[in-house]
Amino acid sequence: MLDNYLFLGLFSFYLLGAASSVIFNKNDRISAYLSFISAAVASIFGIIFSFSVIFGNTFTLSIPGSSFLDFGFFVDKLSAFFILVISIAVFAVSIYSTGYVREYFGKKNIGYLGFLYNIFVLSMILVVTASNAIVFLIVWELMSVISYFLVVYEHEKPETRKAGFIYIVMTHIGTGFIILSFLIFAGTSGSFGFETFHAAGAVMPPLMKDLAFLFALIGFGAKAGIVPLHIWLPYAHPAAPSNVSALMSGVMIKTAIFMLIRISFDFLGAGTAWWGYLVLALGTISAILGILYAVVESDIKRMLAFSSIENVGIILIGTGASMIFFAGGMTTLSAIAAIAALYHLLNHSVFKGLLFMGAGSILFSTHTKNIEELGGLIKKMPVSAVLILAGVLSISALPPFSGFVSEWLTFQSLLLGLIPVFKYGGFNTFAMIALSISAAVLALTGALAAFCFLKTFGIGFLALPRSKHAEHAVEVNKPMLLGMALFAILSVLLGIFPFYVLPVLDRIVQTFVGVSVFSQSVSFGASGTIAIPATLITLSTPALLVLVLIFALIPFICLYIYNRKTPAIYETWGCGQPVSTPRNEYTAQAFSKPVQIWFKNLYRPVTETKATYSPSPFLKESFKFESRIEQVFEQYIYNPVVDVVLAKSRRAKVIQTGSIHAYLSYIFGTLVILFMFVIAGGSK
Amino acid sequence: MSEIILGSKSVQLLIALILVSTFMILGSTRLYSCVRAFGIQSFLLACVAGIVAYSTGKNDLYIVAALTLVIKSAVIPYIFIYIIREIKVKREIELYVNISPSLIIGGVLVVISYYLIRSINIMSELSGFALSASMSLVSIGLFVMISRKKAIMQMLGILIMENGLFLGAISLTYGMPLLVELGIFFDVLIGVLIMGILIFRINKTFESIDTDMLKTLIG
Repeated sequence: MLDNYLFLGLFSFYLLGAASSVIFNKNDRISAYLSFISAAVASIFGIIFSFSVIFGNTFTLSIPGSSFLDFGFFVDKLSAFFILVISIAVFAVSIYSTGYVREYFGKKNIGYLGFLYNIFVLSMILVVTASNAIVFLIVWELMSVISYFLVVYEHEKPETRKAGFIYIVMTHIGTGFIILSFLIFAGTSGSFGFETFHAAGAVMPPLMKDLAFLFALIGFGAKAGIVPLHIWLPYAHPAAPSNVSALMSGVMIKTAIFMLIRISFDFLGAGTAWWGYLVLALGTISAILGILYAVVESDIKRMLAFSSIENVGIILIGTGASMIFFAGGMTTLSAIAAIAALYHLLNHSVFKGLLFMGAGSILFSTHTKNIEELGGLIKKMPVSAVLILAGVLSISALPPFSGFVSEWLTFQSLLLGLIPVFKYGGFNTFAMIALSISAAVLALTGALAAFCFLKTFGIGFLALPRSKHAEHAVEVNKPMLLGMALFAILSVLLGIFPFYVLPVLDRIVQTFVGVSVFSQSVSFGASGTIAIPATLITLSTPALLVLVLIFALIPFICLYIYNRKTPAIYETWGCGQPVSTPRNEYTAQAFSKPVQIWFKNLYRPVTETKATYSPSPFLKESFKFESRIEQVFEQYIYNPVVDVVLAKSRRAKVIQTGSIHAYLSYIFGTLVILFMFVIAGGSK
Repeated sequence: MSEIILGSKSVQLLIALILVSTFMILGSTRLYSCVRAFGIQSFLLACVAGIVAYSTGKNDLYIVAALTLVIKSAVIPYIFIYIIREIKVKREIELYVNISPSLIIGGVLVVISYYLIRSINIMSELSGFALSASMSLVSIGLFVMISRKKAIMQMLGILIMENGLFLGAISLTYGMPLLVELGIFFDVLIGVLIMGILIFRINKTFESIDTDMLKTLIG
């Protein structure tokens, strides 16, 4: 009963936020406060509601509609977890937004933004709660279309419109495949209710199951940003307002992961091993390619978008491993991998939200996203810098921050998977190879991520300002700092106290894997017992925290002992030179050059140097250097396809003459042919 | 009962006359005579409805017959004539397909419709006669829309199709429920008014009502 009120409260506050932002559209300030604060209130309802479902009973709500369509909602523990993730993100981002949208006051329509924002969040909540394929598709489309409008909010810029176009095309290709997948289910079950899909999954022939899974993987993969369906992320995320990118990257792409878990585990029973291998392979490829493109990117938000691809990859590695283990009958391992995936999902939504908000703060006070134009921001905006540093450390998977714990767990699940292989000679060698490769690539990914964010923070915040933009930067306003601080604190807490979170995740995973890791200790054979809770406790995060602090103190102690003289103050990176200017500094491009050289087969960099000489050949008048990297997937997959489609369409355009008589003739001709068909006995 | 009514010679004669009036539209080159032929066709249709009403004893069919008489054979032709007079259009209709091929195609369409209805084989031969006439009207109406250039003729074509559907409804079910019929009449009337306004606009924009010129709206 309480759940009912909570759900209703959540629903109505989002609607209230949407309505009030439109009603008070005249006054930007009131409109912004009303819409974002009611979104924050709604998200509190969401948090309480999700806890109530996780620790209580499944919640269902059915609004009877026509005989064809019931607007039903169904919230089990998995849905509740996603509501929790969404609500946490929305709470912090909404507080941040009240400050961030001041940028747009007087320039853009705030009521419109507030309306879309609330409806967008509501649609995400409905996506994870819909209990019927038709309702799901409606709210899924709503989510896609509203997020499209949010992406093109700054539509006066041509690149934003291009980004929006790419996004909406990709998301609709995805929806097409989702519909195909649902139709396969509905064809067997005879109904569009999700509760019947479960039964249908049990009786479907294997081929149909494979098809349903593949279509769902393509469809939801396009939304999640799995390579090679990822091309919209690096366009859409930078184009959207930063608070919206924080939600899109932090939360929206996760709804696709939710449906993948729902379909493969819940509906299809995850009985087929190669599904797991496919997901594992895609996850691994996404992780490594995502971070490789992120490393060489100098637009902060674009870099973060590539990093989202990487993190979705890591989540999928966990999911894929979980599916492999589940198909192999190793449910406990499966549960551990799934817990790792869900924990990384939660963490990613927190630290990626934080980083996108940080990028928004940088944009807010410097009006540039280009990292080459920043520098020295730690002195201009110290609080933001510290908060962003928390996000950077977390995403680099450094203890004691949250990213470390979940990536560690993902590793452990992959490595634990190798143990039964060693013991009994199987699953099989293939599993062993796949898991090892994935673990190795994951390790490389982690290192590159650390490198990438070291670059971002080092070039962006340290040293001297490289441009006027960075010189005139000022600290951002309080609500923005508060929003970021919430996430920074949360990512520390999630890093230090995972042992409070993991049992909760265990309850959720239990609903679809069927095994609770924390209530049992599992043996892998006669010779050795691996108590799974023990392996989790092997990592004592508080002890690690102490260790990190001790190590962090060592440089200070050293300095204290060896350097008691008053220090000489020089310019940073001055190298002892009397004068240092921003032109002496390390650039982002130069910093990432080693990676670019190692992986030049992937990047295929195109560099151009142009020099113009004054009359003397020894004096260069100006020197221009340009370097681009190739987007392999766009160039070799998407562009050829687009060209072919366009060529075919142009050929088909011949029948579109514009003459009304021609169009009528088409109808008439068809009619006469059908007449002939009937006369010739075609109906019999 | 249906055999008695539709088999009765008078109804057969009327239906044949309706077909003849349709061929009058196909065969004339003057806008006025086309409109006149349409008026005659509608009048004959009203007579059919009246006879059906009389022989089935369905009183609401009298209302339908009266409405047909008023709206289709008086008001709509009047609107046509008003439009033709107001926009001072050349009285000649311009054709894509000449008169004699048009007549031949019309004849072929009637034959096709007849065979079509016969091959469906859903009813006795006599009510089938009315149905095949209605089918002919629909296809000839479409053909008129295709083969004539003036926007007025497109309007007329769609009304011929509507008449065909009306004849079909009468011959199959002795008319639809009164409420539906009233709705359809209202639709037709409003449709004609809107199309008329549209024709004025087209004339204003293009100095002509040749739909031939409306070709720029392509992607």
